[in-house]
Amino acid sequence: MSLRLYDYELDENGYKVRLALGALGLACETVGVDMVPGAEQTRPPLIDLNPLGTLPILVDGDTVLREAEAILAYLARRYDSAGTWLPQEPVAFGETLMWLAFATRELHAATLARRAALFDLPGDGPALEGRARAAFRVMEDHITLRGFSGLDWFAGTGPTIADLALFPAFALSRDFGIDHEAYPGLRRWSRRVRGLPGFRTMPGIPDYH
Amino acid sequence: MDEPEGWYAVALGADIEPSTSAGTRLFGHELVVWRDAGGAVHVWEDRCPHRGMRLSFGFVRGDHIACLYHGWRYDTAGQCRFIPAHPDLEVSPMIRTRTYPCRERAGLIWVRWGAPAEEAEPAPVAASPLRSLYLEAPAARLAAALGEAGPDGLVRFDLAGSPVLVAVQPLAGEASAAHIVVPDTPEAPEADLGRLAAACVTLRRSIEGAAP
Ligand code: FES
Repeated sequence: MSLRLYDYELDENGYKVRLALGALGLACETVGVDMVPGAEQTRPPLIDLNPLGTLPILVDGDTVLREAEAILAYLARRYDSAGTWLPQEPVAFGETLMWLAFATRELHAATLARRAALFDLPGDGPALEGRARAAFRVMEDHITLRGFSGLDWFAGTGPTIADLALFPAFALSRDFGIDHEAYPGLRRWSRRVRGLPGFRTMPGIPDYH
Repeated sequence: MDEPEGWYAVALGADIEPSTSAGTRLFGHELVVWRDAGGAVHVWEDRCPHRGMRLSFGFVRGDHIACLYHGWRYDTAGQCRFIPAHPDLEVSPMIRTRTYPCRERAGLIWVRWGAPAEEAEPAPVAASPLRSLYLEAPAARLAAALGEAGPDGLVRFDLAGSPVLVAVQPLAGEASAAHIVVPDTPEAPEADLGRLAAACVTLRRSIEGAAP
């Protein structure tokens, strides 16, 4: 096994993969990419690995994967021998995929809002922020309701890659002006995520030394 | 906005776990609510005296809260005790944050705002936490939908057929929170908290959708 990750430190999609590598205890060579301002991922040689010109990209031997959620699913299926991060059980499996889709689609507004705020990129700030708040509210309602059934995580009965895919947008939301005031359930859940073995921080997610 | 004096709930007690903090607002003023490792709660102005950063971004260690930015540490009285850049310094008593009187009652954390007429502390209420609902609606609209609070700050409300207690927190102009608990009554059957938590979502929709 030799994993290589093309990544930009401030990119929350790359952070999802770093969280999974940590949770699974996997060693990985990281290749830093100048995404902002260089947009290095849109030019050769990286554009030949991923024609979409996006990050992150994972290379594992002959396998080349893009899309953070797909990479999480691959890593879990391939390297999680206990099979808990991407559960086999049909309901937990379906729930995990449902929240992975949510991380990709609904939380994309949060990604764009954060990029606009951090890198001064154009973007309709208020509209993106509104969509991010709506998504966080759906997450807050879900995790709060599950708490009454003694369930602490988004899907299944234990932590899954869904939790890892959802965590960055919420944990980094102060970068684009959404405080955690209105999300007590998500605050408590993110503490649980922080307590997972192998958890890593990134710039914007404080390490409480 | 008007800032009537009195006691206001700012969180469910259960949502502020030991050694954690959270930022919130009351009438637009930023507050940090935190619980020390010993379990006592504190409500302060959410501003580090050093450079004004929000203390709620920081972290709690033992009976101190530390600012995330340069690590200044404050004790439970709001007095700065330690400055990492000057570890041997005896910190001046002038370096302190603004603290507010607070207490826990009915499963909620309350802060005293202004100097309301001193009344005897209301009798304790045994209640289980339901949830805090954050609404994009002014506090007055919540009062119109839920009813007026009693002298102890709690609204008695019927949620989907079950009695609940609600405390309204005016966050800022168009934002408010409703902290909802379920009274523990020995004779009543155990409340179905999951069902009531789901009913909260319907309640939020109807209040936000109500004409101003
Ligand atoms: S701003 Fe708080 S320690 Fe500097």
